[in-house]
Amino acid sequence: MSAFGGDPARGGDALVRLFHVSKSYLAGTWALQDVSLELRKGQFAFLTGPSGAGKSTLMRLIFAAERPSEGQIIILGRNADRLRPAGIPALRRRIGVVFQDFKLLPRRTVEENVAVALDVVGVPHRQARARVFSMLKRVGLQHRRFHYPLTLSGGEQQRVAIARALVNEPEILLADEPTGNLDPELTLEIMELIAGVAARGTTVLVATHELGLVERFGKRTLRLEGGRIAADSAER
Amino acid sequence: MSGLLAQLRHFARSAWLGLRSSPLPSVLAVATLAVSLFLAGLFALLLSNMSGILDRFGREVRLTAYVEPGLGAEAERELTARVGRLAGVEGAEWVTREQALERFRSRLGGDAALLEGLEENPLPASIEVDLAPSHHDAEGLARVSGSLAALPGVAEVSHGHAWVEGYARAVSLLRAAALGLGGVLALAALVIVTNTIRLTVYARRDEIDILMLVGATRTFVAIPFLLEGLIQGTLGGLLALGLLFGAFSAFGGSLQAAATFLLGHAEPVFLDAGACASLVAAGTGLGLVGSAVALLLGLRR
Repeated sequence: MSAFGGDPARGGDALVRLFHVSKSYLAGTWALQDVSLELRKGQFAFLTGPSGAGKSTLMRLIFAAERPSEGQIIILGRNADRLRPAGIPALRRRIGVVFQDFKLLPRRTVEENVAVALDVVGVPHRQARARVFSMLKRVGLQHRRFHYPLTLSGGEQQRVAIARALVNEPEILLADEPTGNLDPELTLEIMELIAGVAARGTTVLVATHELGLVERFGKRTLRLEGGRIAADSAER
Repeated sequence: MSGLLAQLRHFARSAWLGLRSSPLPSVLAVATLAVSLFLAGLFALLLSNMSGILDRFGREVRLTAYVEPGLGAEAERELTARVGRLAGVEGAEWVTREQALERFRSRLGGDAALLEGLEENPLPASIEVDLAPSHHDAEGLARVSGSLAALPGVAEVSHGHAWVEGYARAVSLLRAAALGLGGVLALAALVIVTNTIRLTVYARRDEIDILMLVGATRTFVAIPFLLEGLIQGTLGGLLALGLLFGAFSAFGGSLQAAATFLLGHAEPVFLDAGACASLVAAGTGLGLVGSAVALLLGLRR
């Protein structure tokens, strides 16, 4: 287990730093307990552990959907605990998030689903279309841009979600069980795509319970058990 | 600027998709607003016509102040001048006893011979008073009547239209009832519109979460819902106006007949452009406030 002392604001090239973070939803029970970790720029890490170990809670803390009950979190140089509600959108525009259930807008086309991340920051329409096209090309879906999500396969839907998460060129990509709904072949395809994102300099944290996948990629792995970090193995 | 255009495009498309995806609640909200505003408009129409009758009557009404007998021509002339200077009086005309008798004679026409047996003129001198436009209502009439009656030398004041005061009281009562009922209707419409939009906020919770996830501000999330409320409110207002005009066209003729029978010449008139615009604006406002309240309740977390 890693623990970091000293001044939380000093993080070097660390984009995510957690200091003795605990999270409780009910008095007396802990979803996360005394978690300290650091993710450097461009680092690719897996977060593993059984269901209920706290993987999703940790993800939610990093993209400021939750506040810690104890401890401090520094994301992209900002102390998440001191972040005012009005400051959260600006932080989230620098973090891409991908979920197991894709979270796509069913009544919007693939192109619109990806463009929504640019609409919120006010990117001009023509520029947004070009960026969306280029991003869809990167995930191999440019020919499906006018289709609706429900007409796509699971793997294609997840690639749309990844395109949406990346179109704003975020510094951090969080993926919570991104292959949980996909068959083994598509799982590998999606994971290769995510590994490529890390190779381009984005910090990536993937929560998964598929140990075979973790073994195959051989990246740094944080193992959560009962809300605590039970192991932190370095990249092979 | 083009970034703003992109956002406006997003808002318009989101509002359109929202309305299209939940047509039943939208139709319910528009219908509720239309019925409430139609009823409020009906009261406004009734009131404006009743007030119109009162105004027309006020423009025609003349007060008559009968002078005490034996006052003398000079005193009567002075009294007429004093009456002319009273507040709310536009003009005062002195009618001598002889003139009064002459008028009476001409009004009798062929029966004027009846007056030939009279040894003495029984009619008093009088002062006929025209009211200033500011006093063309029941209160103005009562004020000037009181001032005239208080003048020394005035025996009696008559306007010959005692019903005006009762009618004016009825108009005031109706206005108060309309205000109260309008308030209740507006509140009911607001509650229904708020709940309808709140339902659509809950139904689109996933969409809201996704927008928040990609860094949308609350304002960005809220604007399409506010637009939906605004569109529903405006449609409700326009529909109410259409219904009101339809009802007026269908029943205006019967109303005219009834009003003419009761009040003499009366022609029902529809709401003026300002009142029509106010009715539609009330719908827009209710839709907007309803969606704002729904968002405050629905996005609170």
